[in-house]
Amino acid sequence: MTENLVEVLRYPLIQRAILACVLCGASCSVLSVFVVLMKMPLIGVSMSHAAFAGAVLGMLLGINPVLSGFIMCLLSAGVLGPLSDRTDMAPENILGIMFSFLMGLAFLGMGILTRTKAGALNLMWGSLLSLSGLDIAILAFVTSLLALFVLLFFKEIRLVLFNRRLATASGLPQRTLYYTVLFLTGAVVSSNLTTVGGLLIFALLVQPGATALQLTYDLKHFFLISAASGIGACVSGLILSYIFDLPSGAAVVLMATAIFAVAYIFSPKRNATKLKKGSMAHEDDAR
Amino acid sequence: MNNHVIEFEGITVRKGNNLLLDNISLCVSRTEFVGIIGPNGAGKTTLLNVIAGFEQFSGTLNLFGHHESWKRDRKTRLRIGYVPQLFQIDPAFPILASEAVMTGSIGRLGLFRSPGREEMKRTMELMEMMRMAHLAGRPLGQLSGGERQKVSLARAILQQPDILLMDEPTANLDIAVQKEVSDLISEIHKQENLTLLLVTHDFNMLPASMNRAVLFNHGKIVYDGDADTAMSSETLSGLFQYPLETFDRNGKRFVSYD
Repeated sequence: MTENLVEVLRYPLIQRAILACVLCGASCSVLSVFVVLMKMPLIGVSMSHAAFAGAVLGMLLGINPVLSGFIMCLLSAGVLGPLSDRTDMAPENILGIMFSFLMGLAFLGMGILTRTKAGALNLMWGSLLSLSGLDIAILAFVTSLLALFVLLFFKEIRLVLFNRRLATASGLPQRTLYYTVLFLTGAVVSSNLTTVGGLLIFALLVQPGATALQLTYDLKHFFLISAASGIGACVSGLILSYIFDLPSGAAVVLMATAIFAVAYIFSPKRNATKLKKGSMAHEDDAR
Repeated sequence: MNNHVIEFEGITVRKGNNLLLDNISLCVSRTEFVGIIGPNGAGKTTLLNVIAGFEQFSGTLNLFGHHESWKRDRKTRLRIGYVPQLFQIDPAFPILASEAVMTGSIGRLGLFRSPGREEMKRTMELMEMMRMAHLAGRPLGQLSGGERQKVSLARAILQQPDILLMDEPTANLDIAVQKEVSDLISEIHKQENLTLLLVTHDFNMLPASMNRAVLFNHGKIVYDGDADTAMSSETLSGLFQYPLETFDRNGKRFVSYD
């Protein structure tokens, strides 16, 4: 089995798939730090559906689906950002409406699509083994952009994640930073349509960050743990999908869930809180 | 040239059909300590939000002698520190108490510069001032409400503001911690030479060094003057539409009610 695996690694197609896994895991998991700490998982859902709806519309209009998915993500970010900032409506409601609208739009496009729906379905589930060089180049560019953003603005990001109002009071352009996160969400989601797909990507936008949340209080470590668990889930998912002949996107998402479950069970933070509560109860009993 | 750091002239804030601030005119001088007092919904927090640049308004606002709209440049924002009401934070959130305090230096450092030794030293000095240096390495979400409020105060002072705005800093804290925070605020006023505006509806926890009271109701100023005179049974009973009595103890005025 191992020899067979090594043999397979020589194929350019597999090498590209592994590289895509690393890039997909890195980009989604770094973004998931924002999604988890800013408590905006619905933004991830809305964006992934925006990308999917845009891609389906792109296929209908004969435009590159990644490009049309990206444009739709940007449009969604342009609506979501100001709406969640400036209206009196609860952000969850705005996102819920946006999410269902985009879902409807995507399925409408699927319904109208006269030619084979396999291409559109690929964008829903992803297909790691049919990536082009351009797909990888776009993914590498977006991942680098995201990494650069985090490295250059780490201290500003810390404050925005902590409290957006305090960030404003400190003279930071927090709205610009927030909109940049939305823009990068759109870029990451649309560039990953071809890897794990518009539906399954949501799991990678939440689970690596949720895994890191179980393990550390240090924001730098938080980004690193999130990235490691995202990359780990993607690569191990791909290997498992090869060994057991499973759909790669589904295997990746299930691996991300398994990693989260292990982190949750062995979470030192959760165990410390339990111990603290236990000792407080003990003190109360002693009194 | 006058000594006013804040000048309101006919400031009005409206949200839909609600008038939150109704044609307010108010001046605050350098190093004054002003208590903004009134019942819930009186417009106190809206007033702080206008000064902090969180709220759109009509009328004329001058800060540090310059005309300002609700949008501010970084330099003006840095001169205004802000301590919010006690806010909830996820106990698992990845930030330590000392890191939370140090975020106060971020605006002043500007882009592409990280906090260094100087900021760390000042952070620890402020944590000592707040008597919580031993909690520097503790995750913020695991601190008590009072400890988190002291972190907020230290964070705001690290920003080196000229004006410090505090929105109900002692709300939701137990009595002993309210007293501790209130005394710390008086200490900050003396040591840091700041102009302080404190919003509250709790008269028994007014810091001793507060020298002026502005009473608010229905978006209007109903009293502006000496803090001791404001604390009369008639004024406060009228303001809160409830019979209140005042009494003096150890040189300080307290309020009681049935």
